[in-house]
Amino acid sequence: MKKILLFLSVFTTMVILTGCTLGTSEGDNTVTVYSERHYDTDQLLFDQFEQETGIKVNVVKASADELINKLETEGEDTSADLLIISDAGRLHLAKEKDLLQSISSETLEDNIPSNYQDADNQWFGLTKRARVLVYHPDRVSVDELSTYESLLDSKWANRIVVRSGSNIYNQSLIASFIAINGEEETRTFINGLVNNFSRDPEGNDRDQAKAVMAGIADIAIMNTYYMGKMANSSDPYEVEVANKLKVFFPNQETTGTHINISAAGVTKHSENKENAIKLIEFLSSIEAQSTFANANYEYPVNPNVEPADLLKSWGDFIAQDINLTQLGVYSSQAAIIMDEEGWK
Amino acid sequence: MIKKHIKSLNLFSIISIISAILIMMALINMFSNILSPPSDTWYHIKNYLLAEYLKNTFILIFFTGLLSGFLGFMSAYIVTFYEFKGRKLFSWILILPLALPSYIAAFIYSDMFSYTGIFSRTLRSIGINKYIDIMSISGAIVIFSFTLYPYVYMLVKSSLSKNSSLFIENAKLLKAKPLRIFTKIVLPLTRPALFGGVLLVLLETLNDYGVVRYFGVRVFSYAIFDSWFRLGDLTSAVRLSAIVLIIVFILVNLEKILRGRKKYTANVKTKPIIKKQVNRYFEILIIAFLSIIILVGFGIPVTQMIFNFVRTYQVIFELEMIYIIINTVTISLFATVLTVFISVMIINYSRLSNSKLTRAVLRITSIGYAIPGAVIAVSVLIFFVDVDNLLYPIYKLIDGDSKKLVLTTSLAMLTFAYVIRFLTISFNSVESIYDKVGIKYTEAAYTLKSSKLRTLFKIDIPLIKEGLIAAFIIVFIDVIKELPLTLILRPTNYDTIATRVYTYANDEMIQEASGPALIIILICTLMIYYVTHRKRGGKNVR
Repeated sequence: MKKILLFLSVFTTMVILTGCTLGTSEGDNTVTVYSERHYDTDQLLFDQFEQETGIKVNVVKASADELINKLETEGEDTSADLLIISDAGRLHLAKEKDLLQSISSETLEDNIPSNYQDADNQWFGLTKRARVLVYHPDRVSVDELSTYESLLDSKWANRIVVRSGSNIYNQSLIASFIAINGEEETRTFINGLVNNFSRDPEGNDRDQAKAVMAGIADIAIMNTYYMGKMANSSDPYEVEVANKLKVFFPNQETTGTHINISAAGVTKHSENKENAIKLIEFLSSIEAQSTFANANYEYPVNPNVEPADLLKSWGDFIAQDINLTQLGVYSSQAAIIMDEEGWK
Repeated sequence: MIKKHIKSLNLFSIISIISAILIMMALINMFSNILSPPSDTWYHIKNYLLAEYLKNTFILIFFTGLLSGFLGFMSAYIVTFYEFKGRKLFSWILILPLALPSYIAAFIYSDMFSYTGIFSRTLRSIGINKYIDIMSISGAIVIFSFTLYPYVYMLVKSSLSKNSSLFIENAKLLKAKPLRIFTKIVLPLTRPALFGGVLLVLLETLNDYGVVRYFGVRVFSYAIFDSWFRLGDLTSAVRLSAIVLIIVFILVNLEKILRGRKKYTANVKTKPIIKKQVNRYFEILIIAFLSIIILVGFGIPVTQMIFNFVRTYQVIFELEMIYIIINTVTISLFATVLTVFISVMIINYSRLSNSKLTRAVLRITSIGYAIPGAVIAVSVLIFFVDVDNLLYPIYKLIDGDSKKLVLTTSLAMLTFAYVIRFLTISFNSVESIYDKVGIKYTEAAYTLKSSKLRTLFKIDIPLIKEGLIAAFIIVFIDVIKELPLTLILRPTNYDTIATRVYTYANDEMIQEASGPALIIILICTLMIYYVTHRKRGGKNVR
């Protein structure tokens, strides 16, 4: 009996202790960030912000959908002040669920072009990534490439790889097509593209590049970001792949290359709104934007900051001319027609 | 009638019933979703996706069950009945693959087979330009079987060494042929353990999201996340979870149905099995077989990870990592002890009184393992927010400035979720050993007016110690590897090693993920080593 009593009392104290210490960790001068981005670069910037302003940054990292769910459930009691997500479509979803608030900041208006901002100033883009064609120069000549739509040509049969349709980057790509070309054309596009796949979608973006290198396919549709990461990988063989393959920005003469952004929005029930705004402002500053560009191979949104040399070596490009809110508007429609047209 | 109920109140029943009520309340908001009418998304899923999900899920669990059952049973059988070089070493390192999370194995292997990986490079260097694609349903079956078979191995081995020696010796005396001994004695006696082990493997497989998502194998766990997140429809996700629950229910009861009314409890004195000396050729064959299993399930991927780690070692050499390790070990230990404790309470409760209530309690408390982590996470979150709202006046009384979400922002929520999720696992190992021990010693103690607690500590726990230890390792290893619950329910600024691994793996940085993953593997390996090398009454357990 003694044993079990001891056991139980140790348990209870432990529960209470862990409960109390963690429950009271909220100080005054803090900002709590729910972030989908889990990069060392981001942590570096948060630390820098802490040093410059004395505001402590708390971070919770999980996938976009999990964070949105969490915010929704916590309601007005949430401790989150800022939501950072690497997909404009998901931010739009958060806005539709009434989880964000409009803010006004001259600094942000100066630093961030208007098409990378929400129309009601509920979220602000921080970095950009382009979804491009990556090809093997021995098997594809650059003259053969032009648009995403040209990939439907029968000469590309069994020569294209791309990751799963359930991936958010692909979903947003298709959402942008619906916004620009309408549903019917987009359906034709998906259907034709799937016919030219060289295998059922599998793996992540880097795996698509490796598949092209291995000769499974000749063209991969993937993000510039991962090409940057591979070129600077700790694995020398990945660097080799990145150096051999070439990047092509499609639709330069027509509708522009698809881009997506990482963006931040102040939560509706934020208790540290001022701090949260300061943090976004900091992240959009020239200093922070250069860090994003150089350490994480993303395109800066701040027009006064140059992309990294590697990214510049791929050349300039014209992006799709749509407000990125559209990616959210057409997101679920995109998901449904991708299933119906058989993009696994 | 009431009197009878009050009389049956004791430590076991109180803790069991409270646990059941808490778990039910936490999960009820999820199940209430099933009652709402199907959405358009559901018809979409039904028309375009459901058939594929069903087909893939059945292929996956059928072959994974077969292969892991074969690997686990054969290795346990060999280690128990034959004497060969390295037997003692094999008998514990065969458990090691459990230390390697399946999703990490999947990442590492597909990296090794990719264009830049060692296998393809070697093939190319000898002039074979062939590319082996392991990112498929067969690849998933192999990965799951080789990383999860130790569940079968452990249970079957403990069952074999526990109860078959006398029967086998008697059978031998009666000149029974080896095959006959095998089919008539060994198989029936170990059947509950074999099924129990395979069941654990299958439950893990059904719950996995990492491997199937990465490989693009569309099974139910994939579907649940997909309909919830991509199609934005929680109701359909819950409906799909309900289908998984039905599958699990069938699996759980399959063994009981097959076994029928027969009970194979062997209450014989344990006696060490006389191991058969094998000849040279057979010895080589045995060693090769076991080595392959361990190499595929542990050696090869871990070696690759060590290579990766050498390139990226700076990732884990930072002060923060120490905190992360302490965090991880503390919460894992705490959640594990709590889980095993509750499972012992509930099993005692259920075996001492067999009423409708007990059966209901059992069913409710073992539901958690069948529900995908992320779905449990959301249910638990909603539940805790409600509880905090309810308790808010009390918080205010203690501290005027108290925040409302006290429990929700604490580790209590995560611990609670771990318990829900892993109770079944603990049940399985504790129950299988209780099944074997039978109830007569306990009953004898009660007849002698020994109190329930005294009996538990003096009679039951010494008898079921092995089962408890098995439960403890399995749950601990599961908690330390756990991802979805931890990601969603952890407090701010709280990282575990697994969340670190996820951070890198999710960003396609397998190299960097290797360091933290190796720490998980190291901790689990040490656990396994400790438990298998523990001195028991002066002699080694192995």
